[in-house]
Amino acid sequence: MVNVVEAASFKTEAPRKRVLSEAVFGWLLIGPAMLFIAVIVAWPLAETVRLSFMEAGLGGEEYVGLANYEDLLESRKFHDTIVRTFYWMFLSVALKLILGLIGATLLNAAVPGRGLFRVLVMPPWVIPIAIGCIGWLWLYNGYFGILSGTMMSLGITDGPFEFLAYKQSAFYSAVVTDVWVGTPMVTLFFLAAMQGVPRDLYEAAYVDGASRWYRFRRITIPQIMPVIVSMSLLSAIFTFNSFEIIWILTEGGPRGATTTLIVDTYKTAISNFKFGEGSARAVVIVVLLGAFSLIYLFFLNKVNKYYGSGKK
Amino acid sequence: MATLDLHSINKSFGTAKVLHDISLAINDKEFVVFVGPSGCGKSTLLRIIAGLEEATSGQIVIGGQDVSDAHPVERGISMVFQSYALYPHLSVYENIAFPLRVQKLEKTDMDARVQRAAEILQLTDKLQLKPGQLSGGQRQRVAIGRSIVRNPKVFLFDEPLSNLDAALRGDMRVELGQLHRSLEATMVYVTHDQVEAMTMADRIVVLNAGRVEQFGTPMELYHHPQTKFVASFIGQPNMNLIPATVSDVDGTGLKVTLDGGHQMVIPVDTLGVQKGDKLEVGIRPENVTLGEDGISVDISVLERLGGVSIAYGKLAGQTRFCASLPGDVNVKEGAAVTLTMAPEDCHVFDASGQVLRRKSAPALVA
Repeated sequence: MVNVVEAASFKTEAPRKRVLSEAVFGWLLIGPAMLFIAVIVAWPLAETVRLSFMEAGLGGEEYVGLANYEDLLESRKFHDTIVRTFYWMFLSVALKLILGLIGATLLNAAVPGRGLFRVLVMPPWVIPIAIGCIGWLWLYNGYFGILSGTMMSLGITDGPFEFLAYKQSAFYSAVVTDVWVGTPMVTLFFLAAMQGVPRDLYEAAYVDGASRWYRFRRITIPQIMPVIVSMSLLSAIFTFNSFEIIWILTEGGPRGATTTLIVDTYKTAISNFKFGEGSARAVVIVVLLGAFSLIYLFFLNKVNKYYGSGKK
Repeated sequence: MATLDLHSINKSFGTAKVLHDISLAINDKEFVVFVGPSGCGKSTLLRIIAGLEEATSGQIVIGGQDVSDAHPVERGISMVFQSYALYPHLSVYENIAFPLRVQKLEKTDMDARVQRAAEILQLTDKLQLKPGQLSGGQRQRVAIGRSIVRNPKVFLFDEPLSNLDAALRGDMRVELGQLHRSLEATMVYVTHDQVEAMTMADRIVVLNAGRVEQFGTPMELYHHPQTKFVASFIGQPNMNLIPATVSDVDGTGLKVTLDGGHQMVIPVDTLGVQKGDKLEVGIRPENVTLGEDGISVDISVLERLGGVSIAYGKLAGQTRFCASLPGDVNVKEGAAVTLTMAPEDCHVFDASGQVLRRKSAPALVA
């Protein structure tokens, strides 16, 4: 070890400023963020995993091993919830992507009033979800809602139709609301990606005689494909975890028709105070989403390779 | 292949008029270069020919057929863009084959055409690569390949070499010249680089502020610039323009007094010129030599390029002057030198920038 006093005696010039090593400086910079993540993500996650092995309620905790997981795997209701959650996710994400693509294409077109439409697409995303959902509650209302009223006046239904009272219509109504909330973000990301496609590519294709549809299919879609894949993943995670919309519209009903994994977890852990069983459900969600994300990342890598320019 | 005729092309963007009554007749198999400074309208004119922009008025005739309102693909043109406009997600093969896929050509025919283009452009071993894996020059060749496979009547090039480095640009100039000869195609080429224009063109269109200043062969433009703009745009280094006053007019030419006091008689047409008129006398840097009798120039910078030395300085009247002297000329920066110029090498421009015809210019080479 170097003796500091001795080392200093070799140098007669002005004392050097203390310089932090690059590694220490780096750790100092990310330290607060790491602490933050540890407190609000890592610790609760670890606690959730721990609780999933417990019979935990308001009265206390008792270690039960894998019993909570075994119950889940044997529960037909839980299987139905998983299937319903994935169906909910795929349907909603597919609709968001399709509508987002159509919307972005229209907003990207050189049409008069394009700026205004770009602003008008924002409200579903900007206004608080709760406010938006209350609006949808009114729309779906059988007696006062505009949808039921219009259907009656068109002769489609004989009387008031309560959209949220029947299993199928409640599920699809919740999907529609979720799509309404989630589409603007997808649209804006697609629009930004489309605006990044060089104009020359379209002009070159136009000179070569490519139709509008051909240019969209062969230039726009491949050029924005990495964004489409990324948005699919993000949107899938958001939709999988979508809670407020379902809770405000139906609270998971009628008779569990709109209960997705996240709603089921909430009901079990918070409404029924079964913290252990709820935690097991939460762990299953983490595992499923983790696996889902890995598959997506693998897919994204493939897409980037296929649609990329070949640059290393 | 085909002729290309433009009749009174005008173009306005809103209230800004960018092209003024442009009429040109381009011959079959001719290589014509549109050259001019940024914003002169050369790219807009090319895009109008391509069908990417609509002319406000005027007529475009390709191969005797009026194509003013035709879709680009019906005009029989193909275009190479400055940015190459290659599809980054497609292989070189697919990029070249793109127009053929649009046409839904048979696979065997498509293969044959792509292979032929690849052979011409030495891309045969690159067909499976993607644009990102190619050098700038190779990318440009792919873009040209995409044009070749369509067998167009007229090739259009929009500053295709401006993204390349100087050495590669020189190589590509030669390659494009060879390509023109081997394809025997009508080509229209836009550039702001007068060296490209001079070296590649059969004829050059010099554009300035949306107007055609002059349309002629490179040497015609060099020896007989019709305007001061063309004179100063064509030639490297630029032509010197010296303010002068007419001191006498007679049958042999104009007697002028140059800025700095030197007097000379220049053999040009004197029609309409009067004693006392203000003119500008143009002399190319390569047409002056060190001598006993001539203009006095204070040399401020001397660039020795090896074969030649470029001297920059000022005349006594503060007019900037440039001279291209022998490489090993014995001149020092800061010294004053006397430069001689032959009257027959001088150009004279009137106050409106129009040239007074030279009586004894060198014969033009073909």
